[in-house]
Parts: sequence; structure tokens; C-alpha cells
Amino acid sequence: MTAHLMSSCAMRWWVAVEWIEALVADGEKRVDEIEVFYVQGTSVSADLKKRNLSLATSSEDCGLCIRTIEKGRIGASSTNNPEQWRECLDAAVASGKLATPQEWNGLPHPNAIPAGDLSFDLAMTFEPENARELLQKMLAGADEHPAEVTSGSAALSWGQVTFANTHGIRYTARHTGISASLEAISGQSTGYEFDHACCVDGVDPFAVGERATFFASRSVGGKDIPTGEYDIILSPIAYADLLSNVFVPALSGRNVHQGRSKLADRMGKEVAVPGLSMYDDPHRVNANGSTWWDAEGTPTMRIDYVKDGVLEAFAYDLKTAYRFGKTSTGNAVRGGYGGLPTIGHHNFVVDGRREEIADERVVYAHSIVGAHTANPMSGDFSVEISNPFWMENGEFSEPIRGAMLSGNVFLMHEQIFGLSKESRAIGSYILPSVRINGQRIIGK
Amino acid sequence: MNAPAGIRYYDVRHVTGQVTHIDIDSGVVESAGTSFFNKAIVRTLGQRGWGVIQIDNYIPGSKKKFGEILSSAEKLARITAEPVLLGDADRHMLPVPPAKEDCRSVDIEEKSAILAGIEGAAQHPQVVNRRANYIERVEQVRFSDSSGSEYSYEICRSGFSVMAVASRNGNVQMGYERDHSIHGFNLRHRQELGKKAAAIAVALLDAGAAKGGKMHAVLDPELAGVFAHEAVGHASEGDLVQEGNSVLKGMTGQKIGNEQLTIIDDPTIHEFGFEPVDAEGVAVRRTEIIHRGVVNSYLHSRETLAAIGNGMAGHARAMPGEPPIVRMSNTFIEAGNATTDEIFSECKNGIFLKGSRGGQVDPGRGVFQFNAEYGYLIENGECTKMCRDVSLSGEILTTLHGISLCGKDRLMSPGYCGKGGQSVPVSDGAPHVLLCDAVVGGSGVD
Repeated sequence: MTAHLMSSCAMRWWVAVEWIEALVADGEKRVDEIEVFYVQGTSVSADLKKRNLSLATSSEDCGLCIRTIEKGRIGASSTNNPEQWRECLDAAVASGKLATPQEWNGLPHPNAIPAGDLSFDLAMTFEPENARELLQKMLAGADEHPAEVTSGSAALSWGQVTFANTHGIRYTARHTGISASLEAISGQSTGYEFDHACCVDGVDPFAVGERATFFASRSVGGKDIPTGEYDIILSPIAYADLLSNVFVPALSGRNVHQGRSKLADRMGKEVAVPGLSMYDDPHRVNANGSTWWDAEGTPTMRIDYVKDGVLEAFAYDLKTAYRFGKTSTGNAVRGGYGGLPTIGHHNFVVDGRREEIADERVVYAHSIVGAHTANPMSGDFSVEISNPFWMENGEFSEPIRGAMLSGNVFLMHEQIFGLSKESRAIGSYILPSVRINGQRIIGK
Repeated sequence: MNAPAGIRYYDVRHVTGQVTHIDIDSGVVESAGTSFFNKAIVRTLGQRGWGVIQIDNYIPGSKKKFGEILSSAEKLARITAEPVLLGDADRHMLPVPPAKEDCRSVDIEEKSAILAGIEGAAQHPQVVNRRANYIERVEQVRFSDSSGSEYSYEICRSGFSVMAVASRNGNVQMGYERDHSIHGFNLRHRQELGKKAAAIAVALLDAGAAKGGKMHAVLDPELAGVFAHEAVGHASEGDLVQEGNSVLKGMTGQKIGNEQLTIIDDPTIHEFGFEPVDAEGVAVRRTEIIHRGVVNSYLHSRETLAAIGNGMAGHARAMPGEPPIVRMSNTFIEAGNATTDEIFSECKNGIFLKGSRGGQVDPGRGVFQFNAEYGYLIENGECTKMCRDVSLSGEILTTLHGISLCGKDRLMSPGYCGKGGQSVPVSDGAPHVLLCDAVVGGSGVD
């Protein structure tokens, strides 16, 4: 049985190689350089309607993106159909003719990439029953507190990326993913929790269910809070929302050089409290965003954006690096097969001295509503807090009915008072809870 | 073909098409070109719930192959427990309005040159970055189901955005303008939007932060449309109501707003959220969500209609290859009879909020938040100082009573709405409205 599986995997790879080799060979005759990014995947998921499983889904994903470079002109096209690679290549070449030529010093050459996948669990299986079990465990957790489950979802996925370019790069990487989420309500008080990981043991579905009904039930009867300045704790969920909408885009080399980043002229200066670090850690085993090479085939590495509160690096892909006389930091990412490489990160970590941050009375924000409406240029935001609580001695004391939080994401980092002992993965972010003093809250 | 044993219903929605984009960043054509997609979803209703297969690169093949897909889907459905029923629905497809100028008849070099003109119009000594994007999406949709219904149509949605970033002494502000259409190529003669984006970005350099607190607010048609969408539209979606995750559950017939407040969702009108037929092959219809301040009707798919009633199916929408879910289309507050002057003088002192940077809602809790692009203080009925970064939050069931005047000047604005990981084209609109005792967020203090 094992042998059969091995041979079918090898065959799939061989089939892929065949058309990819033909594509690269054909492309080389027409343009200076060519690369192809090919994604295959499957997933299975199950959704709850209240407490009942109402929908089970399986998917087969497949897509490729071709990028061509001819005299500094970059072209690209994508398709779901590998058999259509010739049309896709034509479209990529045509696309390159439209692009403004830029300084270009070549796609990467092959590198000694360590063997082994960083975010892949061989033990994961993709049967509908696996998804159903996750839902059942979440429901068991949800029973811990008096709240109604409104909806929930569980999914398991597998994907393989094959990457090839003119200079002989032939990389493959496999990823697995498991996720679980649950929504609950008690009266008019809602609670939402989720978890995701690349290995089966990385999620705790019972805890997801338990936290969702905890927040729904414990938020009942929240009291108003008067407008004023308060010491607050942002949970990793709330913090990730503000970071990803404002701070992280400002670290993109492209935004920096194009006048779209408030951090553009802060290199070497303090942008956060002393002791705070922000870095990309692409080689962390079993972290969601881990990878040995980026979306352009550049080897990845740790990048220290902020070290001890001081801004030390911006993120670059090849295109931006060549244009502005920099070096790629291996930060090219793609949003799926069809996306062009853009500057992003792999595992964005915020770290520093850890301590107990909820000893004194403080307002806790579990999540926020409307972070995407923050001003990405200035960093100013005002958002509604979901599940706000008064916290004291490390415990949730009284719920708060509802409040808006107003501030500035950049300024906030100069006012961080402490980082919690625990960190949590939120997508490709690995973050502690952060305590920030003197933040403005607008009551109802 | 006849459904295999164990399958009560099935449908197939297969969408193929192409996307053309142009991205110009401060005079440089960053990327431009065309990509292709082919996605399908096969849904089967087993003895209880749904079994669904999503397929990239779907090639409608032999009956035998399709039979295998159905039987895999049926196996998935076997793990479900929810007894799903489908409500009755009319089957009918509207014609897609003809394009005034077919996007595909304009070559991409010309599109790129026109877009560069709009981007170039955003030049200004204080503007440090300009960016313009064009996107054109042609979809061929083919739908069929086990009852014999079959529809196919082609639709092209296209549009552009232009952004200007102004900077002075570390103060960075932006202006952003956009337009999207189902009526064909819409780039020609639009340079004024580039100029406007630049003018707003530059003006915001001198704007102060809004002072948060409770105050009267006048919302412009774009922002009032977002208000209708976030504060009312989502909470009226039948799936959320069915799950018990909406404050509008059980509120039918109850008065939650003033007499002059009527809120509609209408996928039949030729705005950006138009659908000729919904994603379950059901005829689209206008739905009055709020009628003169009273909760009137929910938005439904066939499943949510059967589960909770009160309304019509025809509001199921989906991205290619994704499962249909209940969605808004073109959502708006009906025009009233107040003049804009009356609205401002009735407001007297407060804030005028213009444009939208988006919003979000927690429909179960009934709390929403949305953000204006900018605003002006209203003093003695007149607009005075410009403010930046103004947002508004509120509770659905109390805030709607605060809408005390609606203007005569309804306008629709196109955009995209995200739910369940799917983004679909929508439009929102309203006349100018007066919202009393609004909770306004801003970081300014006295």
C-alpha cells in the first residue's frame, strides 16, 4: 500500500515536471528569463448550522502562474488549467510588453535548500470524518458555558507548490493545514474563537469551543464605560488586526520607497519602546508561514525589522530590491496561484521581555471591529472593541458593554507597557498580548 | 440526468473567464495583463444536509464522470445531520444590460494609456505617491440543477481606483477615488477623479483629528449607503437570522426606525451588485428589508427561506467555485423629502461625514462600525473645519431611530463586500441623512 502511494506521488511529480520542462524550454526561446509557480491541493471541511453539521465539502485546487522577464520588462499570467500553459505563456509575454522596463539583475539560481518541509504533517488525513470529529470536540468544549452555538467550521487541507525557473531551480514544498472556528451567542452577547496550525496536534478544538461560549456568556450584562483614557490590553487577535492593516505594510520596501510608509525616514531610529523586537522567522518548525524559499525562489532568512525598539530593516522582493538598489530579503509572497509575488512576511514575530501584564486594573480587548478602516498612511484608527472586559489580578472581572478605541498604531508602539508571557499564532503572526497605557476609549 | 440514490437535489455552477488588470505606480506600469480561470462547484442535497465538491479546471465531461462526482458528493453529505429543506422559488433570468462600450473592444495598450492619464492627473507638489489600478473581469456562468433548470450568461465588470498620498513633515495622508461598472468600459474622461484624490490628500494635511463623542451627524450618500449595508443589510441575511446570530431575529413587524426610513436590497437594478439570476438559479427580486421603520423582510437563499420564512429566495451569491451564501446586492436607503439645506440646519451643530473607508458589523451583538474618508464640523448649520479619520459606531436597534431626516438625492456607490471568505461586487446608496446622537470616534481631544 505504501509502495503504491509512493509511486502515485512520484508519478504526479513526473507529470508536473514534463509540462513544466516543456514550458521553461519554450519560454527561454522567447524571453530572457521565465519562472513558473504551480500549486495543487485538496481540502475537506465541515460546517455547523447551530449544533448540527449541515454541509460537508471537499475541494481539488490547481493553478499556475507564469512570470517572464525580457530586458527588465516583467510579464505574468495565470490559469487553473496546466494543459493551457501555451496560452498562458503567450499572455505572460504579451503582458511583459506593457510593463515599464526596470533595472533587473536576474532571477535566483539554485541554492542548497535543506531537505524536509517546515509546515507539513505526514500524519494528517483528509477524510470528512476528521472534520466531523473536530466539530464534535468543539461542541463538547462549547458545553462548558451557557451560550448557544450559532455556527462553526473545521477544515483540513494539503497543498504542494512546485517552483521552477530558467536557471535550473526545481523546488517543491508541501504544506498541511488544520483549522477550527466557532461562533456563539448568549442573549445579544457574541463570542468567536478559532485556531489553526499546520500539524494535527497544533489545534485544540475543545478550547476553541470553550473560549467561544466563555466570551459569549461572560460578556452578558456589560456596563457602560465613560469616555476617557485607560490602560488597555490588546489580545493577540486584536493586535494582529492593527499590525496587519497598518504597521506591517509600512515595513514593505515598496511602500517605503514609493512614499507610502510613515516609517520611510525612521531607519536606525526608535519606532517602539526599548526592548521590543519584531522579526520574520521563516524557518520555525511547525509554524504556519514557514518556508525555505520565498515566492520567487530566493532563500528565506530571519529578518530583524525592529530590534530593541530601533528600526533596522525593511522587507524586499527582487523587483523592489533591483529598482531601488537593495537586496531581496526573501520576503516575496503570493496570495494563491494566481497572485503575482508581492512583499509580505512568513512568520511575523513580536517579542521582548515577558511579564504579568494584567495585575492592575486594565481594559481587555479580545478583538476589534473595523481594523481595516484604519488609516494605513497615518496609522490613526478608531474601532469598536468586541468582548471588552475589565481585568484585574490576571482575571476577567466585569464585562464592558461596548466601547470605541481610538489611537494611532505607530504611536501605540512607543507606549507599549508590557508583553504577556504567552504568545499565540494568528495566521502568519506570532504575538503576545500587549499592554498599552493611556489609550483613548469613547463610551456610548 | 436522474439523481443517483440518496440525492434529493443537485446543482452545478461552472464559471470560466478572464481577468485583465493594470497597475500604475507613480508613472511606472508595474504590471498589466490577462489571466484565466475555470472553477466549478457541485452541490448535492443528501438525506439530511449538503455534500459539496469544489473543482478547479472543471471540464464538463461524460455522464459517467459526472455520476462519480455526484456520488462523491453524496458520500460527503452522509456525515451531515441538519435536515435541510429547500424553499420554493421562481426560476427566471434577467437579460444582462448591454455594454455601452465593450471592454474587450479596447486594447490593453489604450486602457493603460488612459489609466496613466487619470494617475497623472493626481500630480501635485505635495503628492509624493500616485497609484492607479484598472480591473476587468469577464465571467461566463453556466448553471444547471436536478429539476432541469439551466441558465447561462456572460457578464463583464470593470472599474478603476486612483490614490494620491500627500506628505508634509511626517504627516502622511491619502485621497482615494474609485468607480466600478457593469455597463462597460468606464475609464474615458475620468481624469477629474485623479485630481480629486490629490486635492483631498493635500487638504487632509491641514485637517485636524475629529474629537470623539456623541453628536449629530450628517452622512453623505456614500457613507449613508455603507450605514444601510453594515447596520441593517447584514443583520437581515437569512443565514445569520436562522443561526440566531442576528439582532433582527424575531423582529418582523417591529418598529426599529423612524417612519421615513425604508431600506431595500435590489439585485435587479443595473448597479454594480446586479445579478441576472442568483447563484442557485433563482429569479432575483427587490426586497424591502425595512419598510417605514418596520422590519419587513429578510434576504434568503432557498435553504434559509424554508427554515425561517418571511421573504424571498434569490439573494444567494457566490464567487466562482464557492458555495452560494445569502448576500446583499444593491442596498440602499430610499430617498425622502428633506432638502440638503434642511438637513444641515436641523443638525445645527455636529459633524458632516463624507466617503467611506469601509465598515464591519457584529450582527449578533448588533454593533457596527464604519469609517468616513473625511468630514467637516457643522457649526450653526454650516460646514467649517475639515476633520480626518472619523469613524462611527452604534447599536443597530437603537441607532436607526436616530435617522430623523432623509434627503431627496439618492446616489449609489460601487464596492465589494466580504463574508465567509468570499468577496462579491455590491453597491450601496442613500440620500444625505441626518443621524442624531451618533457615537463618533476620533483621536482628537480639547
